[in-house]
Amino acid sequence: MKMVNAFNMKRAAAGLRRINLDGLRWRVFDAKGQILGRLASQIATVVQGKDKPTYTPNRDDGDMCIVLNAKDVCVTGRKLTDKVYYWHTGQVLCLKHFSLNIDIMVYRYVGHLKERTFKDQMAKDPTEVIRKAVLRMLPRNKLRDDRDRKLRIFPSSEHPFGDRPLEPYVMPPRSVREMRPRERRAMVRAQKAEQQQQNTDGTKKGKKREAPEESA
Amino acid sequence: MTRIKRGYIARKRRTKIRLFTSSFRGAHSRLTRTISQQKIKALVSANRDRDRKKRGFRGLWIHRINAIIGKNKKKQYNRYSNLLYNMYKGQWLLNHKIVAQMGILKGNCLLMIANEIIT
Repeated sequence: MKMVNAFNMKRAAAGLRRINLDGLRWRVFDAKGQILGRLASQIATVVQGKDKPTYTPNRDDGDMCIVLNAKDVCVTGRKLTDKVYYWHTGQVLCLKHFSLNIDIMVYRYVGHLKERTFKDQMAKDPTEVIRKAVLRMLPRNKLRDDRDRKLRIFPSSEHPFGDRPLEPYVMPPRSVREMRPRERRAMVRAQKAEQQQQNTDGTKKGKKREAPEESA
Repeated sequence: MTRIKRGYIARKRRTKIRLFTSSFRGAHSRLTRTISQQKIKALVSANRDRDRKKRGFRGLWIHRINAIIGKNKKKQYNRYSNLLYNMYKGQWLLNHKIVAQMGILKGNCLLMIANEIIT
């Protein structure tokens, strides 16, 4: 992880020269305990500049977004194991054009469909998870790469931008839906199991003698 | 019949069209036939987009108003829809363009007025 951090720090201050305007604010997002998609949509609106009254669709006027604690981002459901990132590898090696016919033969480097689960991606590079989520929420146009350059994501809370005027971003209040009956029953069962464990921890030896009597 | 050449009637007509199309890219400003076609397409687009322009700007103003009103943290009403409903209820008849401009130039004024209207 230390290697990754060093690499990130060098990369972080790198592309700042390409970003033209510095009337931009530096907004800090804390990803600790946030849910991946909901955080990413807020980041996407800020990076596009959609919360500014001077929003212009053909000009990139978004704020610089710094995301901290990327390794503590959460997902709901079974996505930790079941969410898979797919990408395809393989390239065109050469195009052979036969002039008389209209045949084009394409020679390719053979690649395949690659996949990686959410868990493995977090272990490998947690910043990529948030970056992919945000990039895929931005409109696919010419400004997308510039907006990517404005996103700086860090796995922990250390970042080299301490001397800039940073503004923390307050996430809008969220309404969590009611738990489904099956989930609620599972939660109640888990709570009961915890309570029983606490009781056994409290009076260990006594309970051990009592338990075989109860089972018998 | 005596022979009559056409002369330069066609050329006179086409030079006018060529002047119109003079800044187009590539073959669209050089070849005679494509010049005629491109002039027609350009004029059609211009006609259609004069109406589209009105739509586009209205959308942009709505977007901008929503962005400013979203910063109104005093009340729960931080949406464009709420603002507009209260504008109509309070008979505050301003068009979107002016409200958006107010938001850019004097954002705090707009928020103050919005809060008053909502109450």
